[in-house]
This record gives sequence, structure tokens and C-alpha cells, in this order.
Amino acid sequence: MPELNTLQKWLTSIIIRPGKLQDKVRMADRHYALNHAALVDASPNLSSEDKIGIYARGYVLRLMECLEAEFPALQHLLGNELFESFARAYLVQLPPNSTDLYDLGYKFSAFLQASQKKLSKAEATLYALPVELAKYERALAEVSRLPGLEGKSKETGSFGFLGLLNTNFQTAPCLKLLQLQFPLIDYVNEFQLGVNIPAPEPKESFALICRKNYAITLQYLEDWQWHFLQSLQNTNNYQAAIQHCCNQLNIEKETLMAELFLWLPMAQDMGYVFQVQSDL
Amino acid sequence: MTNTSNEKRLGLPNLGLGVGLRSKHYHHLLHNDPVVDWFEIISENYLNNFGYSRHVLEQIAAKSPIVMHGVSMSVGSTDPLNLTYMKQLKELAEFVKPVWISDHLCWTGVAHINTHDLLPLPLTLESLQHVAERVNRIQDILQRPLILENPSTYLQFQHSTLQEWEFLTELVGKTGCGLLLDVNNVFVSGYNHNFDSELYIRNIPHKAVVQIHLAGPTDCDAYYLDTHDQPVPTPVWQLYKLAQELTGGVSTLLEWDANIPEYPELVAEVTKARQVMQGIFPEVPVFRSPYADAISNPVEHTLQPAHA
Repeated sequence: MPELNTLQKWLTSIIIRPGKLQDKVRMADRHYALNHAALVDASPNLSSEDKIGIYARGYVLRLMECLEAEFPALQHLLGNELFESFARAYLVQLPPNSTDLYDLGYKFSAFLQASQKKLSKAEATLYALPVELAKYERALAEVSRLPGLEGKSKETGSFGFLGLLNTNFQTAPCLKLLQLQFPLIDYVNEFQLGVNIPAPEPKESFALICRKNYAITLQYLEDWQWHFLQSLQNTNNYQAAIQHCCNQLNIEKETLMAELFLWLPMAQDMGYVFQVQSDL
Repeated sequence: MTNTSNEKRLGLPNLGLGVGLRSKHYHHLLHNDPVVDWFEIISENYLNNFGYSRHVLEQIAAKSPIVMHGVSMSVGSTDPLNLTYMKQLKELAEFVKPVWISDHLCWTGVAHINTHDLLPLPLTLESLQHVAERVNRIQDILQRPLILENPSTYLQFQHSTLQEWEFLTELVGKTGCGLLLDVNNVFVSGYNHNFDSELYIRNIPHKAVVQIHLAGPTDCDAYYLDTHDQPVPTPVWQLYKLAQELTGGVSTLLEWDANIPEYPELVAEVTKARQVMQGIFPEVPVFRSPYADAISNPVEHTLQPAHA
């Protein structure tokens, strides 16, 4: 009689490994010095191996369904067969270790990236599309679940230059910023509308994904808007973000302040940023 | 923790007829009478979810009793108890104020791998001791009795020395936990392992049963699968009536997790329970699937697409 821990490792190894069931069972039997036929009751209709196979098959089908739900546009782009082969390889390399099924797709874009060989520059751009699309769809899923600004009291209004100096802002916790090589907002929007569109041509853009009143908002940003929000997200300090953004883009502080004076009320209204008690 | 095993139903109420809260019905429920008496949530759908789902849950919980039903506690695993998960579960319970918290008599993985399936335990004294220790620890953390569900199983270990109903009876005695009797799972496992489902239901400790699950399985020819995607078949209704008679009447919950119907159809299905208790049984055969891709413990209900 095997110890419970050994038995659990034996069955888990069969369930999560790739390959033919017969081979997986044989390998696990050998590795753990067990005999599946002596461990699992057979019945007139099903062998011990058949019964183990019900769990092994269910594991793959269940998790594939999750990945398909999280990356529908990527599945459309790659086609079912290619998507499935990547997804299955991903599950083999990174079997789930979280109690939360939403964590399953967390590393999928990195896995796709790592699966690519050394590429020429032209190839690299082409192959960047599925990786970027996976990142984009993952960001959509995360934004829909992260804490947001819903329910928080909102202070809006015009600031004036002095007000702008004396107010501190932070980005919404559900704000995601993506620097894209392809116009994915348009591509995914049209895909969701059921439009059969070809793969997008490369076009660099700065994109934002956020949530307001529980609805996802998507927007292409100017480079200064994107860099400012990124700096604000990283520093949580409005003044430091302005300085950092100016340094990055090599622009005068007054120039950026003038842009922010016009744009920040809208960004606040859209729920991208919110005012916090200033400790300036 | 106080052992409450001798107290009928652990002091927990009969909530009446309920259904699983699923994202497909959010819009309907925010604008219409829920009709049913209570809702069960899949805890994991809300643990790290601070978006629309949690907002809807808050609205529903303000109007109807909620029970938290989990799939990831992995009570039978030989891995250390996942304290991060337990903390998240407790935090969610503080938010939801559930009438009780349930999970399954199973394990979901080992060596920190989570298969997201409800895997069967060998029903031995070793397993019983292991599970009882963990249930006691879980109950101490949650500061309430844990309600455990019998899973549907597709294999049995030859070295098992206890029947599942014996295992559950012993577990209730050692821990004071409650039972969530899934009559569909009894039906599925009974078919798969050739035991008498009625005998099972007659031999569990009826005073510990807090809740009953109903669902529709799939006949995959050589075995039945717990697919939660069909109307409840006649034999499951018959087991339900028996269980209600033996327990004296406990909370009833219809699970429907794939091919989920519109809300009125879902309510109509669970409402059949009232006719069943009067001896009127729906004529529904077990659904037969010509496909090999049916999934037990479906996850369709967790998959909520992010919409712009």
C-alpha cells in the first residue's frame, strides 16, 4: 500500500505530463515503483488505465478551455490548431500552481516570446504580433479584475496652475499601459464585433487600458501622456513623475505642465488618475 | 473549536431552494426578482476579483443569503495547507458574510501543482486521519464548521478499506464538520463503481447534512461524467427525495455550470424539487453524449470575457 503522498505524486505526474496515456502511466509506475493495475480497480467496461485517462483528459480540456477564453483574438490570429499546440506546450512547461484559474494565462505571452528562435529584424516584427496580442488580452483580463476607482468619491474640476502644483495624483490601480508595435485596440475591437479582419500591419502606438464604472476603456495616447502616466504609476508622486517624464522626453517642464493643465481633468474624469491628499 | 457534531445541522438553517450565482445571469439579477431563496457562489470566482463580479455579488448579498462553495481548498492533499488561500477565503467571507463555507472531499494536486480537478482519495484510515487533521485546522482558521461535499469519482483505489459513506461518517465524528450531499455525485459514482446509491444515502450521518446539490450528468457510454450541463435526470430526483426525507429537509442547490440556460429556465429546473417532494418526478433520461470532449467539473462559469 503506497503512502498517500507517493500516490498523489504518481497520479499528478500522469495527469500533467504530455504524451500517450499508456506511456505516461508506464513512466509513473516505474518512477514511483507502483503498478497502476494493482492500484486502481478495473471494471467490466473500463481498465485501470482508462479510468486514469478520464482525469488526464479532463485536465487538458479544462485548462485549454480557460486559455481559449482568455486569448480569443490570439486564437483567431493563430488558428485553432497552432493555438492549441502552443497552449498544450505551455501547460506542459508551466503546469498551474495557483488556486486561481485566472493566473493560468499570466506567463503565456512570455512563453510565446521564449518559444521564438533568433529572428531577422523583419521576422522579429512579424513574430512579435502573437506575443503582443497575448500581452494585450492578458492586460484586458487583469484590468477587468483589479481594484478600481468605482465607489470612491471623485473630486473633479478645473485646477488652475496653482492647483495643479498643489494637487497630488496617482494612477488608478486598474490602469495598464502598453507600448505596442501593432494597432491592437482596433484589431481586438473589430474581432470582438465579429468582423473578419486580416492581421494588422505594424504601426507603433502607446495604448492605455483602464476601467470606469466596471466597463473597460481603451485609448491610444500621445507619447507624453503615456510616459507621464507610466512615470506616475512607477513613482506614485505627481511632481516626481513630471520631472521624470520631462527627462525622458527631453522637454521643458513648463511645456508638460501646460499640456497637463488641459488634459488632466479629462484623465481624471476617465478614471485614469485620481487626486490624493497632497503632502507636497 | 467546539464540537457541534451532535447538534442537528450544526445550527445552520434550511435556506430553501437556490441556484449557483453565475456571470451569465448578472444583468438579469440586477434588474429582476431573484425568485429563488438563496445563492451559492464559487468562492474562487471572487477571491481576487475586484471588478464587476464583486460589485454584483455585493448587490445580491444585500438581498439574498449567500453560501461560499470552493474548489481549491484541497482538503486531502499532502501538500501543506495553503494558508494564502485560507486568508483570501476568510477575507472574502468577511465581505460576503456567507451562511456557510463548503468545499470537497478531494485533493486538487500535490507538489504545489493545482490540476483544478477534484481528485479522489484512497479511502483508508491513513487518509481519514490526514483529512480529519486538516479539517480541524481549517475549521480553527475559519472559526466555523467546514461543510464538505462528496465528489463524483471515476476511479477507486484497490487498497481503500472504507466505503465513502463510512469515511464521511467517521470524518463527521472526528471533526464536527457538516456535509454537502451531492445526490448527483452519488448517482455518478454509484454508476461508475457499481454501488447502490440508495444504500449510500441511507448510511451517511443525516444530522450532519446541511445542504444538497442537484445537477445533470452525462452518460459517456462506459461511465457517467459530472458535467453540470443538463437538466436533472429522474434517478437523481429520486435520490433527492430520499435524501430530503432522511434528513428532514435541508437547503437545496441546483448546479449548472456549462451550457448554462437563461435564468427563468434555471429557476424552473430547481423549482421542480417541490413537485418531486410530492412524488411527481420529471421524466428525464440521463443525457447521452456522442462526443468524447465532455468535461467534469466544468469551468465555463469562471470564464468571464473582458469587454470593452
